[in-house]
Amino acid sequence: MAQTIAIPGQLLGPSSKYVAGPGTHIHEANLYSSVLGTVTVVQPEKKNVPGPAKRLTKIAGLPSSSAQLPTISVSRTGISEKREVLPEVGNVVLCRVTRIQPRQATVAILVVGDTVLEAEWQGVIRPQDVRATEKDKVKIYESFRPGDIVRAQVISLGDQASYYLATASNDLGVIMATSEAGNVMYPVSWKEYRDPETGINENRKVAKPF
Amino acid sequence: MADRRRINGPVGATTPPIFDKPAAPAAAKTRDAIRKIFLKTGITPSASGSAYLELENPNPKRPGNTSLKLSCTVHGPRALPRSAPFSPHIILTTHVKYAPFATRQRRGYLRDSSERDLGVHLETALRGAIIADRWPKSGVDIIVTVVEGDQDRDSPESQKDDEGWDMMNVLSGCITVASAAIADAGIDCVDTVAGGVAALVCKDDKTAPTIVMDPIVAEHGSILAACCVAYLPTRDEITNMWFKGRLPGADMMVYDKLMEKSLVACRCANRVIVQELNETVRKGQGIS
Repeated sequence: MAQTIAIPGQLLGPSSKYVAGPGTHIHEANLYSSVLGTVTVVQPEKKNVPGPAKRLTKIAGLPSSSAQLPTISVSRTGISEKREVLPEVGNVVLCRVTRIQPRQATVAILVVGDTVLEAEWQGVIRPQDVRATEKDKVKIYESFRPGDIVRAQVISLGDQASYYLATASNDLGVIMATSEAGNVMYPVSWKEYRDPETGINENRKVAKPF
Repeated sequence: MADRRRINGPVGATTPPIFDKPAAPAAAKTRDAIRKIFLKTGITPSASGSAYLELENPNPKRPGNTSLKLSCTVHGPRALPRSAPFSPHIILTTHVKYAPFATRQRRGYLRDSSERDLGVHLETALRGAIIADRWPKSGVDIIVTVVEGDQDRDSPESQKDDEGWDMMNVLSGCITVASAAIADAGIDCVDTVAGGVAALVCKDDKTAPTIVMDPIVAEHGSILAACCVAYLPTRDEITNMWFKGRLPGADMMVYDKLMEKSLVACRCANRVIVQELNETVRKGQGIS
């Protein structure tokens, strides 16, 4: 299937007909490609028949007409396996704990969403972001150990060096851990991993298995 | 500043002396186009994006004749060093370096002032094309290596008044090759920026000066003024302009005409970029 090729600066269409997706930009009410790749147009999902009207619990913007327009985007699939993406606020990332300190755990972000990163980006998990309850009783060394693989969510772009991450959710936390003896452990509760060889429990902020 | 860390070659010319009468300089061809450009992306596997540019050699049979050969690598976007302050947009760093053997006069391994100058021009040209705020907290390094510097090596008479006109051609090549390499690396741009040169040349004192695109310095008797422009064709915007020389005072329109000719040269170069980028995508789809 021949796909349309887009090069940076190529006109894709008027912004009244499409919604700008990744790899595009808007200039003077027209959509242009901003990366080299192939064009994909995604039709909007058909709205289901509205169920019983929900009570508004938050202030939402007016339902915009742009939600009905197809989204046009330019992706780099096929050019290279390498895909440079940046962690963004709200992304779920996989990371490895590199060092722990009483005030923070430093991690290296390895995967954003489904994308394996080329470069390693540094992240920080602060004690108040480890879990949602009893935040004052969190101790970093009872939640993470260096070498653990952690599923976390990006909550802020952070400072110049690192992104700020949080594991304050049931499905976020340590997903792979090795014991002090060097064995791969399995989770036994929301805060404990057990070593199958020695039978010793170690404390972690455990992610709920799917 | 002497370079004490590396083993430097002997200072001086990079070509052996020829004790023969120099061949008559080739007559300037009247052409209304730029020299042919060879452009290829993805030549450096370890870099995020890369490109190679070569200009057609006007006289391939003469041994001392060289053209322009540039290699560009783009590294990034990658994390900034720890010491760098927070930046909401991408930090662009450009390096232009002549290979030691690229010009008639041997170059050192450290960048000298003219190379740094080219780097600043290149950075200005690219900064207007890149959408910098798509990549917060990251940096990108753009390194252009001049493998051959577009200097005629077998005409000793042109060595005397080396006024650096060839730097204009090098800069326009740098802009074009860096633009292709950035697109290959997948960094967001508003357009493919391209470089072009036009010059006001005269054969001798009697004839009236004419404007040529993409001047070959050795072919023209003397160059009065030259103009190098970085141009975004679909946006019709200029991101960088470098004008050098003296215009004959009477005609103010010469300046405008010189600019227009450089823009035509930019559009020609942009056609090459567009074609090569299309080729890049098609090749990638063929493999996967």
